[in-house]
Amino acid sequence: MEPMTQAALWFWLPAALVPFGAWISLSSKTTSTTTFGRAVALLGIVGIVSSPWTVPDSPSSAAGHLLGFLLGPAALLLAGIYLVAFSGNVPVGRLPKSDRRLGVMSFIIGFVWFVGMHWWNLTPALNGEVNRYWLVFWPTFLLLLTCLLSGSALSLRMIGDRRATESNVMWFASAFVFLLIALAMTIDGRAVDAETFRYHLWLAGADLLGTAVGLSIAILVFGFIIFLHERALPEPDSIEPPTEEEFEQVSAIVAANIGGGGEDE
Amino acid sequence: MNDNRLVFTWRAMLLAFLLPLVLVWAFDLTLGGSIGAGVDSLPRFGNAILTSYILGSLILLGNLFFYADSRQRPLAPLFGMFAAAAIGVLVTVMLLNQGDLLMEDNGSIRAQILYNVVHMFVSGGAILLSLALGLGFTFATITAQKARRTVFEEE
Repeated sequence: MEPMTQAALWFWLPAALVPFGAWISLSSKTTSTTTFGRAVALLGIVGIVSSPWTVPDSPSSAAGHLLGFLLGPAALLLAGIYLVAFSGNVPVGRLPKSDRRLGVMSFIIGFVWFVGMHWWNLTPALNGEVNRYWLVFWPTFLLLLTCLLSGSALSLRMIGDRRATESNVMWFASAFVFLLIALAMTIDGRAVDAETFRYHLWLAGADLLGTAVGLSIAILVFGFIIFLHERALPEPDSIEPPTEEEFEQVSAIVAANIGGGGEDE
Repeated sequence: MNDNRLVFTWRAMLLAFLLPLVLVWAFDLTLGGSIGAGVDSLPRFGNAILTSYILGSLILLGNLFFYADSRQRPLAPLFGMFAAAAIGVLVTVMLLNQGDLLMEDNGSIRAQILYNVVHMFVSGGAILLSLALGLGFTFATITAQKARRTVFEEE
């Protein structure tokens, strides 16, 4: 089989199954279709993660390799945040207090795992070299996270009411992530040196800015197309005003349903 | 909140969002002032714009199917959005044909396009994970505080 056909079959087809399954799952009205959509998306993810074995010669399979490396720590981080958030003061769906400790542990393990992937020997490596997409993921993740936490800290202070404590915690978290970036810019990891990280950090900045601009243009074009279409639609037909008989019927219904404080209350 | 106060709030929030970026820039300057990737950032920026525009247009094209459900399935917006995405693809191919303008370390235009898509998946994953963590951390910080009692002033 041609290398391009192999890549199409074992990487791009599973990659297409993920959004397709998500679309089916989100747009379905029955439980069975929703489950089917989720199963299709999961099958796609399994296919992508398996791509380093199914199409080892395709450069795209490095993304599948990275996804396999990221699933563990990302799941721990998200599960940790979920457990911590919903074991606190939430009005509905509160989890037991013991889940809080589990969440904190899960979050810390996930974060240390990620840090170990930069400075220790957990770095995703393919054929003896650092996975090129890891150098895309890690700086993008850190850069956006510190910016989001900083923005969130000020939002809590300016929009929130008496949220100074929470805002301070968010400033601290943002500063901590910034400290990680600063350390990565100065201290070499086992597989990624500081200069390489700095190089890719600026590419990540260009990437984030370009993505924001591109998505904004797409949304503007989308809005413009909807606007043009809606403007071209004819005015809806006017209907006749209600007749006396209809007014009387409405009055009777209203009179029967207002007043309150009936005998049965 | 009056209009001036609202504009100030939004500006301040945007500045707070960009503050770490400025600090990273300043820190990089103190380390030697290379601004890291330098000229390599430009092709990445251009490729990110084009790829996110095309993929965003395709996602929004899918979204139009839901819109069409409530509008007796008109074809014009679907065709318009498809044309918008197609223009993005054409512009990408045209610009990639212009020598080294948008080409990174890839041997052919096809390889560069495939790399752009995979790159966007990876950076999209990083964006989604950091968004989820940012929102989740904010929510967790709020719910970690003691329950509040709202005190109403006597009328």
